[in-house]
Amino acid sequence: MTEATDLAERAGDRDPRVGLRAVAALRRVLEQLEAVQVRSARNQGWSWQEIAAELGVSRQAVHKKYGRQ
Amino acid sequence: MFERFTKDARDVVRGAAEHAERAGAPAVDAEHLLLALLGRGPSRASFALAALGVADRGDSVRDALDEARRRAGLSRADADALAGLGIDVSEIVARVEEVHGAGAMSGGRTGRGRSPGRRPFGRGAKDVIEKSLRMALARKDRHIGDEHLLLALTVRTDVVAEVLADHGVTHASLTRVLGEGEGGGRGGRGAAKAG
Repeated sequence: MTEATDLAERAGDRDPRVGLRAVAALRRVLEQLEAVQVRSARNQGWSWQEIAAELGVSRQAVHKKYGRQ
Repeated sequence: MFERFTKDARDVVRGAAEHAERAGAPAVDAEHLLLALLGRGPSRASFALAALGVADRGDSVRDALDEARRRAGLSRADADALAGLGIDVSEIVARVEEVHGAGAMSGGRTGRGRSPGRRPFGRGAKDVIEKSLRMALARKDRHIGDEHLLLALTVRTDVVAEVLADHGVTHASLTRVLGEGEGGGRGGRGAAKAG
């Protein structure tokens, strides 16, 4: 019974739809997490430069994305 | 394309923009179209929703949408797909909310400083409007009414479609209560007075 379920699950994992959906979902989670963390850093007085350095992107990129909020 | 929209459909689109504005969302999205479709006066969509027993369950639909928004707008299918990778979304949300407060992962609500002006239509909402045209074509209807917007919401793979399906509103059930389109069958019912 468990074996059958495991097999079914493993077969399902090979379905590209599930894998791609997971990637898209993860990206959404990531976007939200980034927004939460950037907002929190700004509230604590971090500069765009400091935030960008931690995120590993350019200062302009962060500012453009979150600057107007 | 908009000239083929009935007054009802235009009202829904306008209503969606108002919902987005009230919610402080950065853009109008599919969920705002659904919110605008709920609790409307007599129209084809409200008739269909009533026929499917959703008319009195507006609060339940709204709660389900709120809940999904809390989870970064992920549907259950999204959460399941991530669980397949060993990622527990509810755990992530719980931890983030512990530190940053309830609703931290719901996004959009950052708009406290946003001007109350008009919002752009997000990708999801644009997709729904585009699909509503296709729904009308498929039914050989000459107009695009709010029922086509509702149909379009059910054929997507997002939270809104999932919430609707949970409430018994699918493309199949809608087609059943709406009957055939104007072009389907001779003098088919619904030879619309939905002008």
